[in-house]
Amino acid sequence: MLTKKLPPLNSFLSLVSRRASHVTRQQYDVIVVGGGHAGTEAAAAAARVGAKTLLVSQKIQTIGALSCNPSLGGVGKGQLVREVDALDGLCGRAGDWAGIHFSILNRSKGPAVWGPRAQLDRQRYREFIQSELLSTPRLTVLEGSVEELLVSETNPEQPGHHRVTGILLANGSHPVSASSVILTTGTFLSGSLFIGQSTSPGGRIGDAPSSSGLSHTLKERLGLRVGRLRTGTPPRILRDSVDFSLAVVQPPDGHPTPFSFLNTRTHCKPEEQLPCHLTYTTPGVERVVKDSLHLNCHIQEDAKGPRYCPSIESRVLRFPGRRHQVWLEPEGLTSDLLYPQGLSMTMPPDVQLSLIRQIPALHRAKIHTHGYGVQYDFVCPTQLSPALQVKNTQGLFLAGQINGTTGYEEAAAQGLWAGVNAARCALSMPTVSLSRTESYIGVLIDDLVSRGVTEPYRMFTSRAEFRTALRPDNADMRLTLKGFEEVGCVSTLRYQEAVRVRDSLQDAQATLQALSLSSNSWKKQLPDIQISEVKNTVMTGMEVLQYNNVSFEMLASAFPESLSRHMEFSQRLKIEAVYRPHCNLQKKEIERIQKEENLLLPHDMDYLSLPVSMSQEVREILDRVRPSTLGAATRLQGITPAAIVHLLNYVRSAELRERRKHRKQQKEEREEELCAAKASLP
Amino acid sequence: MDGPVAGSVTGTELHFDSDASKVEVGYCRGTPPCRFLSTCDGLPVGLADAETIFALSSGHGRCGVAVVRASGPASATALRCMAGLSRSLPPPRTALLRSITDSQSKEVLDRGLVFWFPAPHSFTGEDSVEFHIHGGPAVITAVLQALGSVPGMRPAEAGEFTRRAFQAGKLDLTEVEGLGDLIHAETEAQRRQALRQMSGELGHLYQDWTHKLKRCLAHVEAFIDFSEDELIEDGVLNQVDRWVCDLQAEMEQHLKDERRGERLRSGVQVVIAGATNAGKSSLLNTLCQRPAAIVSPIAGTTRDIVETALDIGGFPVLLSDTAGLRESQDLVEREGVRRARERVEQADLTLVVVDCAHLPSDAQQAAAFLQEHLRSVLPTQEQPETVFAADRFLLLLNKTDLLPEEQRQKLDRELRRVSGFPPVCLISCHTNEGLQDFLTVLHSSVKTLCGDPLSGAPTLTQARHRAHLQQCFAALAQYQRYRDIDLALAAEGVRLALTSLGRITGRVGAEEILDIIFKDFCIGK
Repeated sequence: MLTKKLPPLNSFLSLVSRRASHVTRQQYDVIVVGGGHAGTEAAAAAARVGAKTLLVSQKIQTIGALSCNPSLGGVGKGQLVREVDALDGLCGRAGDWAGIHFSILNRSKGPAVWGPRAQLDRQRYREFIQSELLSTPRLTVLEGSVEELLVSETNPEQPGHHRVTGILLANGSHPVSASSVILTTGTFLSGSLFIGQSTSPGGRIGDAPSSSGLSHTLKERLGLRVGRLRTGTPPRILRDSVDFSLAVVQPPDGHPTPFSFLNTRTHCKPEEQLPCHLTYTTPGVERVVKDSLHLNCHIQEDAKGPRYCPSIESRVLRFPGRRHQVWLEPEGLTSDLLYPQGLSMTMPPDVQLSLIRQIPALHRAKIHTHGYGVQYDFVCPTQLSPALQVKNTQGLFLAGQINGTTGYEEAAAQGLWAGVNAARCALSMPTVSLSRTESYIGVLIDDLVSRGVTEPYRMFTSRAEFRTALRPDNADMRLTLKGFEEVGCVSTLRYQEAVRVRDSLQDAQATLQALSLSSNSWKKQLPDIQISEVKNTVMTGMEVLQYNNVSFEMLASAFPESLSRHMEFSQRLKIEAVYRPHCNLQKKEIERIQKEENLLLPHDMDYLSLPVSMSQEVREILDRVRPSTLGAATRLQGITPAAIVHLLNYVRSAELRERRKHRKQQKEEREEELCAAKASLP
Repeated sequence: MDGPVAGSVTGTELHFDSDASKVEVGYCRGTPPCRFLSTCDGLPVGLADAETIFALSSGHGRCGVAVVRASGPASATALRCMAGLSRSLPPPRTALLRSITDSQSKEVLDRGLVFWFPAPHSFTGEDSVEFHIHGGPAVITAVLQALGSVPGMRPAEAGEFTRRAFQAGKLDLTEVEGLGDLIHAETEAQRRQALRQMSGELGHLYQDWTHKLKRCLAHVEAFIDFSEDELIEDGVLNQVDRWVCDLQAEMEQHLKDERRGERLRSGVQVVIAGATNAGKSSLLNTLCQRPAAIVSPIAGTTRDIVETALDIGGFPVLLSDTAGLRESQDLVEREGVRRARERVEQADLTLVVVDCAHLPSDAQQAAAFLQEHLRSVLPTQEQPETVFAADRFLLLLNKTDLLPEEQRQKLDRELRRVSGFPPVCLISCHTNEGLQDFLTVLHSSVKTLCGDPLSGAPTLTQARHRAHLQQCFAALAQYQRYRDIDLALAAEGVRLALTSLGRITGRVGAEEILDIIFKDFCIGK
């Protein structure tokens, strides 16, 4: 996979533009608006599922661009990348292609919370994504600006409900029609840029602001509630101007671990990797921030910024008198720029320069591009279903920052899932959802649609209550098989590999389980290990492998004839052995949640006048959030156990009524047929 | 027989003293319950609910028979170990009279009927058992607590039984109509109770623990999620180690407090015991100021236990009058005497009543007589010395109106002189003489037993709380075990501990933990 040659970019562009001339005359299954992490995953996923897909982006060049930090993965985020990859998404493989500094974070803290992470070469990343999209069947890419989202008039039978019909391009004479449209417009929805005291419309510096038509349709025609969030990016610094002798070198892992389950090595050779550098803020930084507050519009506005990726301004204001870390990250193998992670700022350009020069390693640094802030609208995600479809608009899907999240990985995960469902919707297949018991993607989407956001949402491992089961090592076993068998977004090649892995793991575990010896015999086999079991207890290989200082390699060298053939999976087997007892304990809770999630609540339920005894407060919560399953309703704050029973009861009896009606109809039809048959008899 | 239903208490007559140990319970219903509730995979929802829950399913307060019900896969285990059925389970849906014991301490808690309802023919559709026991709060609490110590069992949440029954399709539509309201009422009652408890010292203690646990979890989580990128101060985990250690010590101390809190909730079990015609029933009637027990000059009038709830100086007391202790040929009276002795064994405080008229006139001889008498009343396996030291007995010399004043004073002096005696009160239920002094002594004993809620350590008030606290305590050990091996599994221990405690103090969500993280640490990346 990695040895393949990427096609030159200009051929990609020419191919795209040639296609563009036919675009407007065509009908698509799925149109994706936006070419960021959410948009590219969405387009690729929709095409994989089988939909005829169009990706529209303002600038072909920026498709697959890393707008902010040049890195992928991390703690929690790395899990998302592994899951996106397990569902045959792009970002994992793109990361392996573009990575120039790989490390597993949290290596000492237990495999469930390992965080695979890499610094990326921006250009390589973009090239890989563009090349992948180009080679994806059924996918067309078009450069253009979307003027308007087209929706049907409301259905008189279902007031307030719409259906998506397509998009209208700027300068386009004809609308482009589609059954599903996915909006992944990032920070471009009513976006404004801030530097110092000046503001301008836009979602990213250097790109044109998006049309106000889109925003108008969402807010005015569809009546969607929106909120406003802010984010920012640091200035980029010229590498040559940095005094690295005053910073601490952070080397990458000696043996890079690829993100993708399909890769055994990364594109970048271990010895070619670049280091990062760590440096710290000084009291001078705090002084500059405080002295320039009156020149800083962005920081005074009250739109909500994240608590966990705050600007340097918020950091020194919230935690004064401390030193803060600044990571100097390479932007690429050949790039002469550095990305100072932790120095996002929005003050005027001259103040930005004097601020960074307060930092020892940056005392004579030169800025290439200034930092700036962005404020943008997001659509309150409780208005979405777990398929990421807007509840009141058939065929409209949203993914990425437009749903109030932050981060590439969060965007990619939503994009993939929205793409899958938009395609299924367009192809008249039922939508699918992922449970929070089986994936971080499920946790992410469930948190968004059932709780909403008050600040940009970022994934943390602590959000996943079944963290010990949702590990980076087993994402393929959790998702790839399902992705092929039930979802349809996984290629046969990847599926076959996952089946091989599953069978091998099962085989190896069965062998370990069958390897049953007395503890005395184990002590003889593994003399260095303190086996604390009482005398003559029979222990299986699986149980022995749970011991902290026992590795699969040790067992394999003790029993080479039965175990050495499983060496490929030694690490996974060790992790399985350690975590299995804990995961078994959680199984009950997981099963309970899955049952409740299987109980679907109709999305058009009229909670305010439901004929059951329920407090007004509860009705209003349900009406506002409109949970899609009983499980989601149970997790809402303010919902009483009594209300849950009423809901369950109501839904169940509604089903029963429906079934009875259906049976009665069938009976009547049969009788009619019988009558007709009798009548036709001579 | 296809429709087992909830109404097993009302639909069945129970005879505790019946010789026949098996009573067939009729579950006859006209129509089988509607079974429309099934999940996508075709299994009734409740069936696969793997947790086993238990609760008192008859009403709270005084009642003759209380029904404690358990439902889930561990029900059979619970029945086996608590009803002493080592091999086979009883025939389904058939009453069996058994001694109910605590499976760990082997202590006999009560003697009552047990029922075995294998799935799916039970109220919830799961394996279920019922214990029909005596209705005293102490017995109920003891049985609930014993159930809680069976592996795999946990106390039920409000309405959980009914909900399982509902999910398993065991309720028909008309029954379901009222279900939400029922659960609402139950939840409300629990909420009010929780509020009362949470406003007290105990509530403060639990809140304090919850707060500390939240902080522990937040700091471990911050270390997991952010320490690779952020300046998380050195020693964050060492701080958590110390907090966890302190919490473990406090909880262990609290769990060891010998059930003082549960007495506060259910009432102190005070038993009146003594020979026949000593005036035990008169004492009961005097204390409760109504003729609760039949009083007659005929020896052996009281044959069964007469219970009454009293308020002694603000403390709830469950006072029981028992049959006079003597050898008898009468089968019924013999059973009464057996029960009286059993009750004395279980009592928190025993009032030994002696008729003054039966005392030798010589004071010294009287003391020796009383010592002998006490031995005959007391449980055989207990040594009098230790028993007296534990303040579990009061000696009441009744009918002082029949004694000359001079002799009475001598007796009083002599008994105070002799060591190894329980507190002695001279009273007359006839003239109420000495009653006030006796009440003062009784009050102070009851107060000691209950533990003073205003001063001293707050104590446990519910078997439920105890079960959750034990889970919490056990989960913290997981943190210690994995602290240096796998931090994700160690954090899981703290999270489990918090979940368990949260069942008392309220659920703690992931957002709340994040709030603490962002308050305590500067997370910039």
